[in-house]
Amino acid sequence: MTLEIEINRNTFVLHNSGALYWTEKRMLLISDAHLGKVSHFRKYGAAIPEAVINKNFIKLDEVVNYFDPESIYFLGDLFHSELNNEWYLFQQWVEKTNIPIILIAGNHDIINPAKYCELNIQITNEWKLNGILLTHYPEIREGFFNLCGHVHPAIKLRGAGRQSLKLPCFFQSENQMILPAFGEFTGTYVIEPKEGDTVYGITKDTVLPVIITF
Amino acid sequence: MKREELFDIATNWFTGRGWKPFPFQTQTWTAFLQGKNGLLNAPTGSGKTYALWIPVILDYIKSNPNYKNKHKPGLKAIWITPLRALSTEIKQAAERVADDLETGLKVGVRTGDTSASERSKQKNKMPDLLITTPESMQLMLASKGYESVFKTCGAIIIDEWHELLGTKRGVQVELALSRLKHINPQLRIWGISATIGNLKQALEVLLGTKSPALQNSVMIRAHINKKINVISVIPEKMDTYPWRGHMGLHLVDEVANIIRKSKTTLIFCNTRSQCELWFQALLTKYPEFAGELAMHHGSIARETRQWVEQAIRDEQLRAVVCTSSLDLGVDFAPVETVVQIGGPKGVARFLQRAGRSGHQPGQESNIYFLATHAIELVEASALRRAVKETVVEDRVPYLNSWDVLIQYLVTLAVSDGFYPTDVFKEIQDTFCYQGITAAEWQFCLNFITRGSQSLQAYDEYKKVEIEADGKFKVNSKTTALRHRMQIGTIVGDSVMNVKFLGGGYIGSIEEWFVSKLSPGDIFIFAGRKLELIRIRNMEVIVRMANPGVKAVHASWMGGRLTLSSQMSELIREELYDANTESMSRELRSLEPMFTRQRKESIVPTDNQFLIETFKTREGYHAIFYPFEGRYVHEALASVMAYRISLLSPITFSLAYNDYGFELLSDKEIDMQQVLDNNLFTPLHLHTDLQQSLNATEMARRKFRDIAVIAGLVFTGYPGKNVKTKHLQSSSQLIFEVFRDYEPNNLLFQQAYRETFEHQLEEGRLILALERIQNQEVVWKQCEKPTPFSFPIITDRLRERLSSETLAERIKKMTANYMK
Repeated sequence: MTLEIEINRNTFVLHNSGALYWTEKRMLLISDAHLGKVSHFRKYGAAIPEAVINKNFIKLDEVVNYFDPESIYFLGDLFHSELNNEWYLFQQWVEKTNIPIILIAGNHDIINPAKYCELNIQITNEWKLNGILLTHYPEIREGFFNLCGHVHPAIKLRGAGRQSLKLPCFFQSENQMILPAFGEFTGTYVIEPKEGDTVYGITKDTVLPVIITF
Repeated sequence: MKREELFDIATNWFTGRGWKPFPFQTQTWTAFLQGKNGLLNAPTGSGKTYALWIPVILDYIKSNPNYKNKHKPGLKAIWITPLRALSTEIKQAAERVADDLETGLKVGVRTGDTSASERSKQKNKMPDLLITTPESMQLMLASKGYESVFKTCGAIIIDEWHELLGTKRGVQVELALSRLKHINPQLRIWGISATIGNLKQALEVLLGTKSPALQNSVMIRAHINKKINVISVIPEKMDTYPWRGHMGLHLVDEVANIIRKSKTTLIFCNTRSQCELWFQALLTKYPEFAGELAMHHGSIARETRQWVEQAIRDEQLRAVVCTSSLDLGVDFAPVETVVQIGGPKGVARFLQRAGRSGHQPGQESNIYFLATHAIELVEASALRRAVKETVVEDRVPYLNSWDVLIQYLVTLAVSDGFYPTDVFKEIQDTFCYQGITAAEWQFCLNFITRGSQSLQAYDEYKKVEIEADGKFKVNSKTTALRHRMQIGTIVGDSVMNVKFLGGGYIGSIEEWFVSKLSPGDIFIFAGRKLELIRIRNMEVIVRMANPGVKAVHASWMGGRLTLSSQMSELIREELYDANTESMSRELRSLEPMFTRQRKESIVPTDNQFLIETFKTREGYHAIFYPFEGRYVHEALASVMAYRISLLSPITFSLAYNDYGFELLSDKEIDMQQVLDNNLFTPLHLHTDLQQSLNATEMARRKFRDIAVIAGLVFTGYPGKNVKTKHLQSSSQLIFEVFRDYEPNNLLFQQAYRETFEHQLEEGRLILALERIQNQEVVWKQCEKPTPFSFPIITDRLRERLSSETLAERIKKMTANYMK
């Protein structure tokens, strides 16, 4: 279900939900939750199953219960589009969870910051801590290791007998780790690793390092 | 006016043009004037247009004796054609009759190409005779006050019904007719169809299974027998034949000779990429053809296609390389010769293409067949027999297409609204929905009003509202607008428009092909070498590339054809002949290949079922040869893979073509166990099919158009980018959420049903397995790939089936990026 790795002498735990936990800081990192996406589609007449809405909140509860973090950092695209009724579900979840939340705003986060303020959620474009830089878009900055989202990375595996398989993944390069999209109904983008990159694929119950050959 | 007098008017008009009406034409006139509905079975270019325009006009004359002086306003007849490109031709024919007989009747066209101003003019004053497409017909049902427009319409003619039958556009027509019949109970409904195996059923689908219209109907057959000559192009030396690929391009000289010998030649290819390749190959080798050689396929800009069609008629072209885009419709009188490149996969299609040539009465049709790989030559001699015996395929109509019904219900809600009890009665009369249950009907109503079956407090689903008096209605203007745009959307692979940097639309290519390109890459499309500059907003911006540079040909996923069951049977019989003395010219020319095949394996006879196994660098191959066509093999491959995987954990990659299928694995299959366990049994076939992962993959693909038609995916209007901010999602993703969260959704289940009925052809599958049961299984362990196996094992489009766990598989796999 999880996999422990070390970055800049800090311990991080990769969770198969797509969440990342920074052990020393007791910080839970979640990227691209895209809450409200299903409701947005439904509001415009596309009948995406409602059950998906609940699943996102169930997953959020699961990782919070598992890690028991001191703070939660959303690395952007927390809410998919403009305000809709899913906001109230989110509001209930925030109140129930009662853990400080910081949002690193992404391209989809277009809801009025005042609404986040009401929930005591702090919004920022980036966050720096102990040589780690949190952003939504992947960014290379001198002297920092970047944790980010936006891409919804997936990896394509190939095997003997011409098998192939696509998995969402954590994608680590020299000074960067791109988190997979946490939300259900979000889709993926297949990226091609280069020499020196590390990829951790996620399945319904595991996180596995992927062997890359060139 | 008596019928004799009316007939005199028509016959005189024919005589005035130096023509004489065919018996099928007068039979149709009679039946129509008697108030009957019907189906006219007549090929393209036989005069079928006048078989129906004439009685429409005679009927007007009959009920308005004072027709020359006094015009009666209102729509009188609708002519539905599947291709808007054909509308001009049909309009000209109608105008010729209407004007010559001084009826004062106006003919109008309404298709996706009709301007907005023209459409609103039509709304105020409908033409007397209207030519339109199934999509535009739906759009008219989506506009307010449509009932009063159609009230006066006394006849509707569905042209090329065989093309629509067995498609969802055909279902759209069924639904539109169910509505029109109730608006005007006097409506006469006529279909025109080329020869297909199930003509009687075609009539039933057109008029409605339980409808009074069917009671009052006739079938009229044209019986025009034209001699068709099938000529195989066989090279002198057989070893010049590739086992696979190369698209038969080595025969380019032979094709050039054929072109030189006749006025105009149509060269039919099975795929658009093949079309591009041949066009290029001919021009490169024979630059003198420049200006006289053109290309025509569905992804080329409409203006260009129209220009090509006109140029054929005007005898400006020596040859046109084309795809099924030229299968239909208009007459191209100058065409003398047709070349078919690659197996046409079906007899009906082949006959239709052959019929493209020699349109003058008494002329014979000449069709040259050019195999693209060796085994395909067997198809040529099979086709000759098919032509002789007129074996023709069925077109299988759809049943219970919930996606189309949902779209139709929203359409009615968008215009004037509807009351469910009325519409339910109407659709129960159709062929497609003859078996609809009350629960299924309720599902459709719930889907459009609540977005699912349950309703949660916070839900904001919005589409169709139920008004106080029970009327289902769309009141939001934006919902209505979005729905209207969706109706006309052509379902298919996601396509992107190709444009020049300075503007100028060239055509469209599929997204997956574009995604493989990076800026600076050169590709060949619409006969030109183009350099990719950038991709933006679903547009591919290009500039002309240096003609000398290397380039890749654009390719398309869609349009892979499969052998019909009739064709497969003919091919099997033909191939069995390879073991006898009575071999056709084509088979004899294949002798070197058969010799080579026999070295390692056998050429099966009619009581043998051949299996070959061998090992290559790629793994362990097992090839099975049922000769049943691609779709049946796709299903058989997945069933066999599934059944074998139950014996021990194993992962397969599957490949198939029209002749056989392959199971490829990283470990050896215990074939003796396969035979001992009788894994070819037809028992439990349905469950095994459902269990095999492959069915999911196929259903996922089927779901794509279901999602678009049912309004789950937002598409823009073709060619125009409509902002659907934050509403973009792939149908694949939607398929997955339905699978995980709402598996009982009828649309999701429809994807599986379509897979089983239309793609896997379960009925054919059972027959195939029963046949294999009665054959002797011959298992050959070969040292290396045989000639029969080669086209299959080199196929790159593959499916996968596994009984190993995901984690086990991942451990064995790698993300390999070696280019």
